[in-house]
Amino acid sequence: MDRVGRERLAGLERGSGFVSTIQRARGPAASVPLTHDVSWIAENYPLGEGRNVHVSVFLIRAEEQNILIDSGSFYHRESLVRRISGVTAGEGIHSLILSHSDYPHSGNIPAFRRRWGDFEIVASSGEPEIQGLPYARRSRIGGSLEVAGRQIDFLDPPLADRSHTSWIYDRASRVLFVADGFGYHHAEDETGLTSRQLPDGFRSEEIYTFHRDTLIWLRYADPPVLMGVLREIFAEREVSWVAPIHGNPIAAEHLDDYLERLEAGVRRIVGEQAV
Amino acid sequence: MPREIHPGIHWIQEFGPDRPGIAKSLLDRGAHWYRPGREIHVPQNAFLFAGEQTLLFDTLSPAATDRILTDLEAVLDGRALDYLALSHPDVPHAGNTFRILERHPGAKLVAPGFGRTHELYHLEDAHKVGPGDSLDLGGKRLHFHDAAFLDAAMSMWMTEETSGMLLPVDWMGLPLMDGEGLLFADEFRSPVDEDRYAEFHGRVMFWLRYVDVARTQKEIDLVLETYRPRMIASAHGPVIRADVPHYFEMMKEVVERVATGGRTGVL
Repeated sequence: MDRVGRERLAGLERGSGFVSTIQRARGPAASVPLTHDVSWIAENYPLGEGRNVHVSVFLIRAEEQNILIDSGSFYHRESLVRRISGVTAGEGIHSLILSHSDYPHSGNIPAFRRRWGDFEIVASSGEPEIQGLPYARRSRIGGSLEVAGRQIDFLDPPLADRSHTSWIYDRASRVLFVADGFGYHHAEDETGLTSRQLPDGFRSEEIYTFHRDTLIWLRYADPPVLMGVLREIFAEREVSWVAPIHGNPIAAEHLDDYLERLEAGVRRIVGEQAV
Repeated sequence: MPREIHPGIHWIQEFGPDRPGIAKSLLDRGAHWYRPGREIHVPQNAFLFAGEQTLLFDTLSPAATDRILTDLEAVLDGRALDYLALSHPDVPHAGNTFRILERHPGAKLVAPGFGRTHELYHLEDAHKVGPGDSLDLGGKRLHFHDAAFLDAAMSMWMTEETSGMLLPVDWMGLPLMDGEGLLFADEFRSPVDEDRYAEFHGRVMFWLRYVDVARTQKEIDLVLETYRPRMIASAHGPVIRADVPHYFEMMKEVVERVATGGRTGVL
């Protein structure tokens, strides 16, 4: 996989992907601070027809250690290595917490380990070996772990597709890291912008298309049940930011607005895809 | 060793490690079919279709690289692998893709056409298929379909004409006890019933907890009506070769059980 990945990246630099490589190099800021010790390293993937999706990672700079949330896609490997090195002043990663093992989330683990050593990996799979992560420390959905001195809760995610996905709540910063739900099909010039920076806020259409195209099972959803469980999560804990791997981070003050648009999107998906 | 489940269709299985966590949960809730002390496994299945040409559907997980390469050699028996089709690019289903292609460099990679993120899975050069697409292997004719019950968005189901086989990938799987590997559902000593299916789907399709039950059950009826399968070959369960509608009724019960009882765990 890694060899092929390197060849693909080399091909992009030589061939038709030249423009997108340049765009990625210009890209957003090296990182976007969410709290004093949590930052967003935003990577963009163009879907065509003016739509884009983030395939990002987040960095927690704990006391003396750096925790990465997800490893990102091999598509962005060179950029991620450069930017993580820059943000951590060359320290790199000490722990990595995976939301789930899907390739765009876990595709850089071998490369990062070669660069920064055998850092700790925390994954919520019931059987890490089957997910290609035999060396991972297992987290339990619904449980908590101390990782690099931080108390991390692993939540059962209502908006996800893979069985072993967990949402990751960092108690110290009160940031909730989520995948694959809470995504957004953003415009290119919205890459790397948080909800506080989006000029006109979130658009309902792009919340709808993201969830329609990503969480296919939503066609069967019972919207009140789903949204009830989702809202309970936020009623039970204080959240400073919702930090989606595939979306623009949502500040606490914009969460109700996003949830309302999400609920409308789910109802639309259900209505349009009636059995 | 692989098992031939229909002339020219071979079942390759990764039995998977013992799962004491699942066994404990079965004991705790008093699952009637589970015998204390027995190992519990969640299998991964791959299927080789051999007509005049050959196609392998899925690759097993990276924990079973040697198994898939060895078993594939055995069933090919000197023939070439012409196609490698991935149901979806998840690690347990696609994790040996490049190892298989290294061993069989002439094989053409086939992947679901859904979505626009193939580059994120190294699938940009794969032959992409979707509903309405077919592949004639010569003596085996395959059709590709949208997956009705799935995890990853980029997924597909497949049917094979001569056997009447539906391959529903992550749907219709169940946990096995030791000794139950490569058995048809009608060969089990303990019953293959909705409780076993609910244990699996309450983990893999945990999202059934959030669905409209009647609507989802209606989709199950529609799947049966659309494909009218005579055999079912799931990626995680026993192959079903008789009384298929009975199992579809069980799956409707599973929807209700997960929607009301919630998630059973994680895989």
